[in-house]
Amino acid sequence: MADKDNNKNEKNLSSEETKDKEKKLSAEEADNEKTSDGSKKEEKAESKSSDDKADKKAGIDDDKELLQEDDAGDLILEHRRESIPLNRENAKFTRSKGNLISLDLTNPDGTTEFFERVVIMRAFPISNPDEFLSIREPDAKRKGRGNEIGMIRRMTDFDDETQKLFLEELDRRYFSPKLMKIISVKDKFGYLYWDAETSSGNVTFIMNNPFSNIRVLDDGRIIMHDIDGNVFEIPEPEKLDSQSYKKIEIYL
Amino acid sequence: MKLMYDLPADDKAAFDAAVGSDEKLMYCLPFTIYENKFVKGYMAFTNKTMYKLLEGKLLGTWPIIGSSDFKTEVMYGCCGFYAKVDGATTLICQFVSGRDLPRYAVIVKACEILNEQKDEKSPTPITNSTPERFCPVCNRPYINATTICPYCMDKKEIYKKLFAMTKGIRLMMSFPFLVAVFSVIFQFVVPYIEGQAIDKYINPSSGIHGPMSGFIAIVIAIVSIDLFQRALGVLQGRFSAIAGNKFTLMLKTVLYEKLQSLSLSSIQRRTTGDLMGRVNSDTSVMQGFVTNQLPTYFIQIVTFFISLPVLAFMNWKMCLFIFVPIPLVVLITSKVWDFVRNRNRKLWVLSTRTGYLLHDILNGIRVVKGFGMEEYEIERFKESSIKSSNQSESNAKVFDTIFPLLGLLIRIGSYFILLYGYMMIFRGKMELGFLHQINSYANMVYAPLMYITFIPRNISNFLTSASKVFEILEEEPDVQDIGLPLDISIEGEIDVKNITFGYESYNPVLENVSVRIEPGEMIGIVGHSGSGKSTLINLIMRLYDVNEGAIMIDDVNIKDISQTALRSQMGVVLQETFLFSGTVQDNIRYSKPFATEEEVIRAARAANAHDFIINLPEGYNTLVGEKGYSMSGGERQRIAIARAIIHDPKILILDEATASLDTETEKLIQDALTKLVKNRTTLAIAHRLSTLRNADKLLVLDHGRVAEFGTHSELLALKGIYWKLVMAQRKMSQDVERTQAEKHSEKQTAAAAAK
Repeated sequence: MADKDNNKNEKNLSSEETKDKEKKLSAEEADNEKTSDGSKKEEKAESKSSDDKADKKAGIDDDKELLQEDDAGDLILEHRRESIPLNRENAKFTRSKGNLISLDLTNPDGTTEFFERVVIMRAFPISNPDEFLSIREPDAKRKGRGNEIGMIRRMTDFDDETQKLFLEELDRRYFSPKLMKIISVKDKFGYLYWDAETSSGNVTFIMNNPFSNIRVLDDGRIIMHDIDGNVFEIPEPEKLDSQSYKKIEIYL
Repeated sequence: MKLMYDLPADDKAAFDAAVGSDEKLMYCLPFTIYENKFVKGYMAFTNKTMYKLLEGKLLGTWPIIGSSDFKTEVMYGCCGFYAKVDGATTLICQFVSGRDLPRYAVIVKACEILNEQKDEKSPTPITNSTPERFCPVCNRPYINATTICPYCMDKKEIYKKLFAMTKGIRLMMSFPFLVAVFSVIFQFVVPYIEGQAIDKYINPSSGIHGPMSGFIAIVIAIVSIDLFQRALGVLQGRFSAIAGNKFTLMLKTVLYEKLQSLSLSSIQRRTTGDLMGRVNSDTSVMQGFVTNQLPTYFIQIVTFFISLPVLAFMNWKMCLFIFVPIPLVVLITSKVWDFVRNRNRKLWVLSTRTGYLLHDILNGIRVVKGFGMEEYEIERFKESSIKSSNQSESNAKVFDTIFPLLGLLIRIGSYFILLYGYMMIFRGKMELGFLHQINSYANMVYAPLMYITFIPRNISNFLTSASKVFEILEEEPDVQDIGLPLDISIEGEIDVKNITFGYESYNPVLENVSVRIEPGEMIGIVGHSGSGKSTLINLIMRLYDVNEGAIMIDDVNIKDISQTALRSQMGVVLQETFLFSGTVQDNIRYSKPFATEEEVIRAARAANAHDFIINLPEGYNTLVGEKGYSMSGGERQRIAIARAIIHDPKILILDEATASLDTETEKLIQDALTKLVKNRTTLAIAHRLSTLRNADKLLVLDHGRVAEFGTHSELLALKGIYWKLVMAQRKMSQDVERTQAEKHSEKQTAAAAAK
């Protein structure tokens, strides 16, 4: 019985999607930006969706659908799009006016879409950073993690210019300076105070619970997280100078 | 939270050169990452423009007015602050997540507000009361979940407060110090007497042994000193046990009382684990320090500092022999302890990992079995166990080598003394007894050195614990009774007058809400999450104080009513029912501990709980809660309702009391509630509108405002939000019926086909 309900919901969703896509396209034609009204809609949809999570009632989707028919301004179903594989043919990435990435997309049905800005995310940032890249719509309410537009299998599927553009944005988004020299590590009041040289300049950072925040990967690399959310990487720990290695060794 | 940092001089100059005369600096925040390098730059926000400043250079300006979509994005290892300027999304600056993300989140809101108030002549910056997580003085992190900086706290203040708390047990607590003084004296006297015994009676250098009676007197003296010392030790043990326990008891009680008196918001700011830690372990650390460690350190330190002049007086050359190696010994001991601690920590980590793994696997045993991964999990566990057992073995080996060596090191002074002493004795310049005496003193000097490396750590642990405890003790509750609070008995009329409230000042959850509820009415509160339903109820219960407006109960402002009187006349049934460990009976009469059996049964009957309780093997005496009988959601809920009934409250609050139950149970509970709400003012929040069918009036909240208020039929006639909700739920139940019918007919066709 529950299964049946779910199936039904999915059916509703897919019909929703096409409807939304159409709406979106017409909106895009008129103006490449979301109007302030549009962003407000999104906000409401978001609050409604968190509402859903709160009470996990399968049926709520239905009432949202019904409400949307009545008054799209109040509670609309959040649209979800089908993620498609992206390649040279259907996706053209350019540098945006704001020095970020814009996308001209050709949908499988032949329609085209323009995104003023897309967000690029790595599926395997640590183990396979240059493959399986997710291209997403920016979404203010979800800290930049909007709907997935599509996925890039390999970065090398695109020309050099585009790859450069990707890498530039990825380097910004994935900021994990390489630790080159550990000047000192002091253990005080349960926190470790580090002073180190990194590929991005000298830093001091604070870490608690070193045994869970220093992670040794299977390939020998070390990833370190500090209390502020900084991430540091030691690509080849054995190549650190012996003084530095001694300082970190006791936590491995 | 600090939103206005001071600009360094060079940045300030660059800013002043660029800023317009009609602009006012509103906020100034640091940014820490620029072009993939760590930097220390500043973002200055005026009422019109943002300026990005780094090392005296202006890196860029962007308008605030006219820009849109301000937002922060959390990335990997950093965060970004974005805005849409001239239709182009732009990365304004990048910064470290932990420290500045909350600040920029406020700035996002602030920029939106600036855009709204662009015509305002003198805009005022918004403020934010979220506490900082970092010490503003030294920029180091506060102790978890506190606002205490271990580096900057006033240590003298803590000792003073602690001393004030020892009132009444000071005499008992000073006893260990008295014993310490005696023990130090005896430590010096005994070797002296022994030395005398050797020189005069056992092995006199003159060859003439003293009279036997003198020797016996010395033996008696040594024995009686020993006896006296042991007796003192027994007394000290007893006294410190009594004083220590009294101290902890008092500390725990005071702390717990204070915790109960704190408002909900201060409790919810902290985790349960943190608060439990403060009541249990931090008070124990304080007790241990005051009653055990402090006297020990006292003895060690006094011994050390007395033996120094005594030795110098006796023989300054030997004194030098003893003291010269001390720095070396201290250095090596502290290194050894560091080494030992690290190894122990490693072992601890490995064994906790094994523990986690076991916990994980046992919890997910159904998954493991379901996928047939038993072999894999056995391997994984074996691997982890082997690692920790190897570490344990190697630790044991290393420690068994190190500690004897350390013992050797600590006796190093004795070796020097013996060497020098024997040389002197051979030359006839020293007596044997004198050597014995000095050697004993040398050992006394070295013994405290073992402790010295521990002292700073233990003191800092103690100070941390003490400051955590005092932080709670000194906190002012947000919601406080007035000087002479009223103890009124409530009729049940609630008048909410124009209230505005937000957990953050700039982000009101409720705005200008006014509702008048007559005594005995049942009001259903409807609206989607985040519309302020629960907040309204929290305010009526006065778990928080309103920012503006007033809530009147029977024409008395609830701020004037004592909190105890107010809440004792309110009953609450929440969605998540909490049953305390204890019997069913205890749980029902929680708010009225002396309720009779009749009352308990009557309440249980009214809650439709009596029948299922009777069917439990131990009836009303069945244990529930963590260790006892586990009840279903519906059963718990009915006990909670009984708990509310027995209390006979004038105002009843039902916060989604039936949301998580199936329809049949809901029916039972509905019936119970119908009985319960009679003659009481009732406020009920519900997602399922059927729950509210008995409500006299319905209050529809939308984004913190009253959207609709009236009876069921009035609101239906309005065709507004309520109408839509009703229609939606009706359609939903029809859909459910339809699918059920379809399923049924499918089955029938299938059956027919089979035939």
